[in-house]
Amino acid sequence: MRIACILIPHFPVAVERQRDPALRGRPVVIGETADQRKAVLDCSPEAEAQGVRVGMPLRQALALCREALFLPPHPSLYRDVFESVLEALEGFSPEVEESALGRAYLNVAGLAPHYEGELDMGERMIRSLRDATGLVASAGIAEGKFVAWTAAVTSEPGQVCTVPAGKEAEFLYPLDVSLLPAAPDTLRRLELYGLHTMRDLAALTLGPLQSQFGSEGKRLWELAQGVDKEALRPRRQEEVLVESMRFSAAAVSVEALVVACRRLLVRLHWRLRGRAARCLRLRAILWGGRSWEKSVTFHEAIIDWERMLFIAKSVLANTMLPGPVEELTIELSGITEERGRQATLFAERAGMRQELGEAVRQLRARWGRPLVSQVVEVEPWSRLPERRHALIDYEP
Amino acid sequence: MKTLQPLKQPRPVAVETDESGEPVAVVLGGRRLAVVQVQDVWRIDDEWWREEVSRLYYHLLLEDGQVVTVYRDLLKDEWWRQSY
Repeated sequence: MRIACILIPHFPVAVERQRDPALRGRPVVIGETADQRKAVLDCSPEAEAQGVRVGMPLRQALALCREALFLPPHPSLYRDVFESVLEALEGFSPEVEESALGRAYLNVAGLAPHYEGELDMGERMIRSLRDATGLVASAGIAEGKFVAWTAAVTSEPGQVCTVPAGKEAEFLYPLDVSLLPAAPDTLRRLELYGLHTMRDLAALTLGPLQSQFGSEGKRLWELAQGVDKEALRPRRQEEVLVESMRFSAAAVSVEALVVACRRLLVRLHWRLRGRAARCLRLRAILWGGRSWEKSVTFHEAIIDWERMLFIAKSVLANTMLPGPVEELTIELSGITEERGRQATLFAERAGMRQELGEAVRQLRARWGRPLVSQVVEVEPWSRLPERRHALIDYEP
Repeated sequence: MKTLQPLKQPRPVAVETDESGEPVAVVLGGRRLAVVQVQDVWRIDDEWWREEVSRLYYHLLLEDGQVVTVYRDLLKDEWWRQSY
């Protein structure tokens, strides 16, 4: 199947540079996170050249690249921009897979005749993305996701690389094995064995490779020859209900946010029209333009806005927001008809118990002494009947 | 303060016996009711570690059709009625 890979490398950095052109050409590291797990989320090629890597502790990144500009992440913004990317791509193919931020795959089988060939199709995609988001992507078109990705990643920004069917191995052989999707340790071992290019790897027989690397070895051996059986997983078109509220003065207290949540959820409840939601996402734009978000997947689809509020409240109460909130957004997704709900087995009994408790309290208040008793087990195993059970004042 | 009131407390009862000590009639509510059938007899010796208990229970069918459980306290030679 012909697959196109659209790649915007270092997507968060690309979005930040789009917002602030002064960042272009400077080493940039994005990394401060709201929950204080301080790790590098993304970095520019300039920082990467100095040894900074994604996932590395920020302290280490700072030691490696002192002149880098460290920026807080804006996850909501990156998601919004990538959503625009995906929407633009859906104009070309209905089957678009959202692989990672800045990377998408499209099923383009049979689409080339609508354009002046695959190259033209890829160029139009890149142009379309530039018009929609201002970002410059590269594209690779080939049989299978891995070859398409390799074609995209080895292309210059704004360029398209197509690999004709049957020429995958020829295309891949000169390339470095570090492009393979393998754990760093595996890649290091491949280098130690003197396997530097895809050709080196493909030249081996499967047996020795499998004995060293197990099933991963087989997969890498196949990929090195351009054999990729991984299917495209198109994203589902699903309804997402969104409501936002802007604060006149940035909110700092959880109480203010809960009030806002209540209003947003009431609005969303009306828009649900009797349906239930499975996921809730809280998004906030913070003072200074930073953003924060948190998603919650419910145990069961919820229709009741008060239950959603309870969950949102507990999320807010347990989260240290990294700044005052200027705008709060709630998204509901996983919209579904409420088909069945697991009821509590003794819900009715619990209600009866409550009523009974209230009646007992009233009786006690009226007569000034306990009038209702309950039977409790004392020594149920005893052979003497008077030892087995006893009466005790009923406490509601 | 909560208090425990044991259930199935034994109540004293008047029982007529024959020469061998078997019940032949029970007085309930001032009425003497003859025993039609002894349905079951069992003995309980228990709680020797606190206040020793030794009882001989009878499950009796009376002439008016009701069934009662009585026991003879073998230590005090007293008759008691008890729901079992």
